[in-house]
Amino acid sequence: MEQELISSKELIWRLMIRDFSVRYRQSILGYIWAILPQIVTVAIFTFLARHRVFDMGETTMPYVIHALWSVSVWQLFAGCLIGCTNSLVNAGSLVTKINFPKEALVFSAIGQALLDFMIRLIPVISVFIWYGFVPSWSSLLIPFVLVSVLLMALGAGFFMAIINLVLRDMGNVISMILTFGMFLAPIVYPPPVSEPFNMVNYLNPFSPLLIATQNLLAGQELMQPQLLAVMFAVSLGIFLLGWRMFHITMPRIAERA
Amino acid sequence: MSDDVLIKVENVSKKFCKSLKQSMLYGIEDIARDALNLKTTSNELRKDEFWAVDDVSFEVRRGECLGIIGRNGAGKSTLLKMLNGIFMPDKGKITVKGKVGALIEVGAGFHPMLTGRENIYVNGAILGMSKKEIDNKFDEIVEFAELEEFIDMPVKHYSSGMYVRLGFSIAAQLKPAILIIDEVLAVGDRRFRLKCLNTLQHRLQEKIAIVFVSHDMPQVINICDKAILLEKGHETKIGLPQQICQDYDTKEFLDTFEGLNPSGENYISSSTTFKDVVYGVEITNVYFKDKENERSAEYRTENEIPIKIKIKNSKKREDIAVWISIRTANDILIHGFRKKINKNYISNIIDIDMVIPSNTLLKGVYTITCGIHKGINWGGRVHQLDQVLYMRIKNNDKFCDGIVNVKPIINI
Repeated sequence: MEQELISSKELIWRLMIRDFSVRYRQSILGYIWAILPQIVTVAIFTFLARHRVFDMGETTMPYVIHALWSVSVWQLFAGCLIGCTNSLVNAGSLVTKINFPKEALVFSAIGQALLDFMIRLIPVISVFIWYGFVPSWSSLLIPFVLVSVLLMALGAGFFMAIINLVLRDMGNVISMILTFGMFLAPIVYPPPVSEPFNMVNYLNPFSPLLIATQNLLAGQELMQPQLLAVMFAVSLGIFLLGWRMFHITMPRIAERA
Repeated sequence: MSDDVLIKVENVSKKFCKSLKQSMLYGIEDIARDALNLKTTSNELRKDEFWAVDDVSFEVRRGECLGIIGRNGAGKSTLLKMLNGIFMPDKGKITVKGKVGALIEVGAGFHPMLTGRENIYVNGAILGMSKKEIDNKFDEIVEFAELEEFIDMPVKHYSSGMYVRLGFSIAAQLKPAILIIDEVLAVGDRRFRLKCLNTLQHRLQEKIAIVFVSHDMPQVINICDKAILLEKGHETKIGLPQQICQDYDTKEFLDTFEGLNPSGENYISSSTTFKDVVYGVEITNVYFKDKENERSAEYRTENEIPIKIKIKNSKKREDIAVWISIRTANDILIHGFRKKINKNYISNIIDIDMVIPSNTLLKGVYTITCGIHKGINWGGRVHQLDQVLYMRIKNNDKFCDGIVNVKPIINI
């Protein structure tokens, strides 16, 4: 299984380049589309927060920074998951007619989400500068947490990709869940402290990872150190399990796609 | 398995499901069984399933080319996908020695927005070539495809011929031990097809094995050493391409013929494709003279074939021409000619006797088409009967093949 991955690393890279080249070839605004929706969402929530339409509580960092950063991390997860889920269906006849490691298709789907994340760092950093916010040194640990986020998304993505091939509803189901999901994690609001709302902090597997990045960014103490460790293990587990299952079932599924 | 044999297929079968919803459910069932390591239901047919490939076996050696022919839906592509490793057989075993290259979907992974150049890299990567390999072979690929001028144009503006040329050209650079080709050479002009066949011949000389699926019988006869006929998933014939193709053509002709011309109806009226009813001349009967009112007959090459055409004429006229053509089962014209009926012979009933001389037609199925024109100089059609008669010719001579005995004079 690992052998296949290593031998197809060039293919994965090539597919990522392909997706990247194609994406904005015929559009005018180009890469702005990668960041615009999230900026608009954050702007709306900031406006609502400032005028106390919703009372979301105090965030440790200025609200805009909290929201913009959290949305970016969320999109990394969501974009990766959706990309993976749809990767096989979008590949069309490649799946049914050519013999090559199909894992490459799923792995290459994260390229898009990663690139979008990088692009989103531009408005994030701009907001940092605007507010004179200097991320603390612990921010250097954030990439480790992000790796965990990616692993979780990939793992779930492997499962979803296979199911989506057979039951085309899956793509839509995932989209819908992710739309609601944005409110089930402390993205546009700070991590709640009161029962029962603080369930979102620990029932949602994404939350501990998100909260950790928020803590690291602000230079605070980690709010949920044990849960975070558990989540690292869980994300690795989901990844390995998903990959294994994909590997076993892919041949069977090529017939049904 | 001896060193020589590169592909060995033993009693292989594959089933598919007819209904889409059932297929999805079976898909989930199969995944669950695989994941939990339970026994699979490969051996029996569940509801709505059918065998697309049923108990097929063959071997292909180094330097050999195997042709697979059959109707649409006979299971050819499914068999190829199993050879390619995309499908797993439900029954039986496939053993393959060496890397398998496939020309099944030409231009796989091509994205219409990318240029030819970019697509070469994508397609090459999918087929397993490294960037370095592609860099080295890039110029060769573009040259073979004759696309030097258009290589930096987005592929969506390519004609279908250019598309195929590029796709084939990339795949042709692979040097796999086994090459599988699925009907891709149908597109492309004559020159390109010749180039492709040449490449295949070269590869065969380099001792690879080729499995070739095509509907183009001449191609199969040209390049394959042996051929298999698949009918509804069953391997019904295996042997020399010449033989298999001819049998197949004959069978196809007879099947199609029966389908379009149901017996029981008067065959003169059912084979009429054009009739000018007011003109007043019509062919009333055509038959084999020595077989009494039959429209089909069997002969040997050595026999003479006598044919009678009866024409009825209801007006006084000066000029009628009759035309007759003999065609192969594939509708290739062997000989067509027009003959003017001398006005002395134009009366109410006109009898025409025609004899195809002995030792002219070789083994095969041939049809007679005849009609009446207003004049020898193409005055217009009056009555036309398509494939009104057909004859099956048998030939004992093992040392000759083809359609017509050209009767060459040889001095050694």
